[in-house]
Parts: sequence; C-alpha cells; structure tokens
Amino acid sequence: MDHFSSYHPSVLLVYYVIVLLLTMFTVHPVLLVCSLLGGILFFAATNPLKALGKNLIFYLFLFFLLALTNPIFNHRGETPLFFMNDNPVTLEAILYGAGVSVMLIGIMFWCKCYNQVMTSDKFVYLFGKAIPKLSLVLSMALRFIPVFKSQMKKISQVQKTMGLYTSDSLTDRVIGSIRTLSALLTWCLENSIETADSMKARGYGLKGRTNFSIFCFRMDDGILLAALGAFLCMSGVGYQQNVFEFYYYPSVSPIPTGAGAYLQYSIILVMMLFPSILEIKGRIQWKLLRAKI
Amino acid sequence: MEIIKSEDLSFTYPGQEKRAVDSVSFKILPGEFVVICGESGCGKTTLLKLLKRELSPNGTLEGEIYYMGTRLGELDDRTAACEIGYVMQNPENQVVTDKVWHELAFGLENMGVPTPEIRRRVGEMASFFGIHEWFQKETSQLSGGQKQLLNLASIMVMQPRILILDEPTSQLDPIAAADFINTLHKLNRELGLTILLVEHRLEEVFPIADKVAVMDRGRLLLYDTPRIIGSELKEKYQNHPMLLGLPSPMRIYQQLDARDDCPLTIREGRDFLTRNYQKEGRIQSPEREKPVRHREKEEELAVHLKNIWFRYERALPDILAGVDLRVRKGEIFSILGGNGSGKTTLLSVISGQNKAYRGGIKIFGKKIKEYKSGELYRHNLALLPQNPQTVFLKTSVAEDYKEIGKVMGYGKEELEEDIARIAGQLNIQELLPKHPYDLSGGEQQKAALGKMLLLKPRCLLLDEPTKGIDAYSKAVLRGILDNLRKEGITILLVTHDVEFAAQISDRCSLFFDREVISEDTPVSFFSNNNFYTTAANRMARHMYPYAITCEDVVALCRKYGRKSI
Repeated sequence: MDHFSSYHPSVLLVYYVIVLLLTMFTVHPVLLVCSLLGGILFFAATNPLKALGKNLIFYLFLFFLLALTNPIFNHRGETPLFFMNDNPVTLEAILYGAGVSVMLIGIMFWCKCYNQVMTSDKFVYLFGKAIPKLSLVLSMALRFIPVFKSQMKKISQVQKTMGLYTSDSLTDRVIGSIRTLSALLTWCLENSIETADSMKARGYGLKGRTNFSIFCFRMDDGILLAALGAFLCMSGVGYQQNVFEFYYYPSVSPIPTGAGAYLQYSIILVMMLFPSILEIKGRIQWKLLRAKI
Repeated sequence: MEIIKSEDLSFTYPGQEKRAVDSVSFKILPGEFVVICGESGCGKTTLLKLLKRELSPNGTLEGEIYYMGTRLGELDDRTAACEIGYVMQNPENQVVTDKVWHELAFGLENMGVPTPEIRRRVGEMASFFGIHEWFQKETSQLSGGQKQLLNLASIMVMQPRILILDEPTSQLDPIAAADFINTLHKLNRELGLTILLVEHRLEEVFPIADKVAVMDRGRLLLYDTPRIIGSELKEKYQNHPMLLGLPSPMRIYQQLDARDDCPLTIREGRDFLTRNYQKEGRIQSPEREKPVRHREKEEELAVHLKNIWFRYERALPDILAGVDLRVRKGEIFSILGGNGSGKTTLLSVISGQNKAYRGGIKIFGKKIKEYKSGELYRHNLALLPQNPQTVFLKTSVAEDYKEIGKVMGYGKEELEEDIARIAGQLNIQELLPKHPYDLSGGEQQKAALGKMLLLKPRCLLLDEPTKGIDAYSKAVLRGILDNLRKEGITILLVTHDVEFAAQISDRCSLFFDREVISEDTPVSFFSNNNFYTTAANRMARHMYPYAITCEDVVALCRKYGRKSI
C-alpha cells in the first residue's frame, strides 16, 4: 500500500488523470485490457484476497450483463448472428458491449484504489494550493463530521433514557430525531464560538498566511513526473500514427500491428501496471531483506 | 522587568452593575509559575481573557495591563497573538483541523512562517511532547488527554513567552490531568516559560507553584507563595469556601490550628503529623462489629446484575466480562476505576441503552426486559450523563422541565409544585429562566440533576458527577445526594474522584479488568488500598490507618492529642 501512495500527491493526481482519461476516451481493446489488468492487479496488491474475490465475482456478473444488454437494444453492425423479434443481434454490438464493460470495470477498480491512495489530507493539500481558504474550511469540516456524529449519538441516547418520545411509533421517532437535531445545532453554534476563539488566539487573520503540508517533493517524484511526461509525448506520437484508431461499426476494424504499435502497447502496459509492479517489487524486496537477516 | 503587570484593573460586562474584575493589581516576573484559584464565577476566566487581547470580552475596562512594559492595547498584532499563548478548558472545542500535524502547524501558518521552518518547529515540538507517535492521526481519534496535550503543543510551537491556561485539566481524568500538569512543570523548569494557570485541582499544582493568587468576587484576596497562602487564608478569612478546595495536607493543617510550617505535599504532611501528634494507641477499626456479610434478599436490591457480558460489536473485545453487582435499596454505591475501563458502558447497560448479550439484569426485582417501552424511566431509573449539556433541548431550563411533565403525565399544578420543590431542594430557582448553555459547569450539573429528579426515580445513576466542578460545588452536590438518600433514593455513581467517593458512599467498589471487584465499605475499601486511596489516608495511614477523609484525620489528631515536647 505504501509504495505507490508515498509519491507526492500532485504526481499521484497526474497519474490518475492520465489513466482515467486514457481509459475513458478510447475504445481500443488493447488499451482497455491493459487498463483493466492494471486496475485489478493494483487492487489485488493493496487489498486482502477475500475482498478481491468478492469484487471479481460481482464485476464478472456486471460484465456479462453489460455485454449482453447492448446487442439487445443496439442493432448496428454488419454481421448479424441471429434474429430476435425480427431484430438482428450483431457480432459488432456484442463486441462493443464487451469493450464498454471492460472500460467501465477498469475505471471502477481504479476508483476503488483511488480512495485508498488519495486520502482526504492529500486532496485538501492539492486544492489548498489553488484556494488556501477552501483548504482550511475543508480541513475544519472534516474534523467536524466525526465530532457531530458522536455528539448526536450521545444526545439521542440521553433523551431515550429520559423516556422522551421513545415509543416505536413513527411520529415519536420523527419528533425525537427533530428534537435531537435542533439540540445538536444549538450545541454546535455554542461550541464553535470557542473554536473561533482558539483560532483568534493563535493569530488567525494575521497578514501573510502560509500553507504547510507534510508532503515533500522528492527526487523520485520528479522522475515519475518526467516519465509520465515522456509517456504522454509517446502517446501523442502514437496517436499521430493512428495506432490508437479503432472502431466497431459498421464492422470491427483490425487492431493495428507492427513494430511501432507493439512498442506503444508495451509502453501503455508498463504504465498501467506501474503501481502494482511497485507494490509487488516492494514486497519481494522486503522478503529478500528479511531472508538475509 | 515583569512580563505582565496589571494596575488597578477593573472590568464590567455590558448591562451589569457589578464588576466582574475589581481593582486587581499584580505583577508576574519572567519564569514564574503562578496559580490562580477561586470559586467558579469569581472572575478568574474574565481576568485571564483580559490578559489575552484577542479574547478580551466586550465591556468597560478600567486600569492598565502592561506586557513587557508596553500597554497591551499598543502591542502589534503579531506579538500579541504569538507571545501570549492561551489554552482553554474544553479540549474538544479548541481543535481546529482534522489532522494532528495540521493542528500543530496552524498557528505558524497564520504567522506566515515558511514551510521548511514550520517543518522544523513542528517536528521539534512533537518530539518534546511525545506526540510523534500519533502525528499522522486524525484529531477526532485522540483521547481527551491527548487532545489537550495537542492544544498545548500547538500553542508552544508559536514560541510564546507566557502561557495562560484556563482550567486545562477540568475535563480530564486524574491520570491525564497529572500528566498535563507535569508537562507544564517541565516547560517551566526546563525552558523557563512563564505560566499563569487557573486550576481546581490544587493537590498537584500547589507544590510546584511559585505564587498563588486567591480571587473572590472579582477581587484579588491574596497573592503570595503557596505556604504563606496556606497559613494566611485561614487567619484572615475563616470559613471561606476556598478552604474546601485546598490540598488535603493544607486543610488538615488549617483545621488543627497548629504552630508549624504549612505542609504542601503528602510527604510534608506525613512529617508534620509525626512531628506534632501522638500515634493511635491500639489500632481499632471504626466499625467495631464487622458488618454481617449476608447475601441480600432479592427484595432488598435496587439493581442486581448477574454475570453480565457485553461488547459493542461482534468482532470487538468484551467491555464487560461477567459483571456481578448488587446495589441495595437506599444506599449510595460508588464504582471507582480508571479511564476507559468501561464504567460508562456499565451504566449504559444498566440503564438499558445497550443490551448485554449474556446475563441478567433486575431493576427493583423485575427483569429489565419486562419493563415496557419507557416504563423503566418513569418512577424507576434515571441516568445523569457525564456531559450535562446533552440533557437540555429547549431554550430555558424551565421549559425543559415543563416538557418532562408532558411525558410523565403530571397535571399543571402538580408539575409546578414539583418544579418549585426540586428547585428549592437544589437551590436553583434563579437558574430556571436562563438558557442552559449560559450556566457554569456546576450549575449545568445541578439543572440536569433537577430534570432527572422530575422523573421521580427510585434509583439514580450518575456518571462522573464531579467532572469539571470546583470543590465548593462538590460539597453542595454532596449535600444534595445526602438528602436524596434520606428520601430513600438509591444512588449508583461511577467516578474517578477518590475523595468524593470516600466522603459520600455507603459502599465502594473498583471496576477493573472488565469486572466489578472488591466491594466494601469506604473505610475498609480505602484503608486496604495503598495507592488507590484518598490523599488524607495516604498522609495519615502510618498513624491512623482507618482515617480516610480530612475530617477523620483531624478528629483523630484531636483525640490522641499533641506530642509533648
């Protein structure tokens, strides 16, 4: 978990934007499969096997659902396989459905990992750079939510033991929660005055506020960023050479081949697998280090 | 040059006749550790806030405050904010951000310190305070003691010259509070930081203070070294309520009218007793006949727990493991125990907020499950929570009280009669029209207790009733509980406050390792404990092993008399 996510948040964000954009704006099967593979492997490297198994089963089901729904409603394409209610079910539509569901599932897996990699403080840090006030507000809000929750629980328990509006009837429950909420609001207002005092006492409002973060931009981050830039340039070249051109309708176009295309594919594969390679490498290294002791 | 000097300082809140602070003059020298004590509502907090310009309340101010020879009002903003640090009472509300590291950096960010400098200062401070272990945590996951330490550290990174603290330990348990005071002592001793502290818990701070200020109704009564305060307060102001709040050795010394130096610590107290008083001749337990340990009959029990097991979730460990508890009708039963040991959870299980997964609970001989919805809370059981603010929902205490009438189905006259009676009993008539949040900690406690009493319970459960209230309010609360016992109400309280439990309870027990153990009368409970016992007992046990309160020690000293020299 900590090998990839220890990169600087801005680098992580760039990586994620590239991966997601690349996955979302292409229908090229090689690209999609690479992305899906990368997403699943990364998820597997950072989560217990049990979670992976559960997710795989669910998404396999989703895959078939999507792949089979498309041809039922979409009848484009040149090669009808059979007719259903006088409508052709075409090979192209089935392949297109499969392609789109691979894309969707790939994105899902990447997003699942995103939550683990880009934690709230990284998010706040990134956007705080652009809008410093917003970052503080976000940080305060994130502190407030758990406090709010626990106080709500306390109030409602105490009110329950006083026997106020505690029967199981709907009206009682509604009135009970409204009352708790109103008490909670008073409590929040009252206590936030103290928070405001504490901010003032520590000089909030002085001129020239800076933004501190515990993230530092290291050499590794620079290297990865440069690599990502190079990758983007390479992809631009590939785009120029029509390596990424692919269409399903009216008939499935051939997948571009040739040395240039293979080079492009392998670069994309490496780039998509990068986080999982890093995780796996880290684990093997650790094992080796342990073995040497 | 004195770091803070106040000359004839007076302050009146808008719309009030009485001065909240009344012609107070004092000087604080660099490196001094000054403790201010006084009853709640005597103007301590107002005085402290006046010294911190950003927090000074609205109202009319007379007199002058100087910081390092400059008028406080003429200081530039940066100096005023950074060089005078201020820590407040409530650990929770002072935290601003969601991460510990961000909280530490917050003050420095405001000052506009560049990132590498912040990194160094935060790192240095986190190591000094031992925060590095939870540096990356979310602030909401910290305990109260950790939060308060974080608040202190996040002031200290701004490198203040004077630290002002307003009852910083009142919401903490005794161990966290002692840790906090020790940290302050360390700051004072090792960094020469000037500290101005308002405190209720004087046992720990008196021995380390250089000066003590006693305030009463806005005036500064005394301002001197702790030892002199100890002897002067008694001479000049007999029966002053502040006398109740002094450390046990000082109280015993004062009540004995001895001619000797005033002892400050337990050790000095022991020496003082050995030097001046005769030992108990034949040591006798005050309970001559041992109470017959008969198994109480079921009818005599108010609360009966049999082999209770509880955990919050299936995957989590047990909080209660085989708890057996028998509380007799009409007694005051205290459960003592450390923080996080599960005392509050135990109360929540007894009061039906949580359900045990094994074992049986009987309240007044009837199984808890057999009470229909809400019936348990009408005329049977009431729970006063740790934080009295959670009890109130309305805009005034009186309205909150009236609502109870609706639930209980009292008539209008009956309700008014009840409110008047309970308000009289608790002496809170003037609090009724006020907003609950405008009351002080002790007043909130009393008002909340009043609301519970309107439910006319036969058994009252109290969760840390002495948390955050001063010695005088504690004495008042003791009187109230005593009266309730006389009316036949059973009281079960959980607390860390050893002194309070020793004075009030009929029986005490210790909650340890998920169980209630060693239940006994206070005298044998505390005299058998070596560490977990009252200060008076620790001080006098070598002479009078069965004395557990200050009054006991004083009585025995008088009985056996002075040593003839």
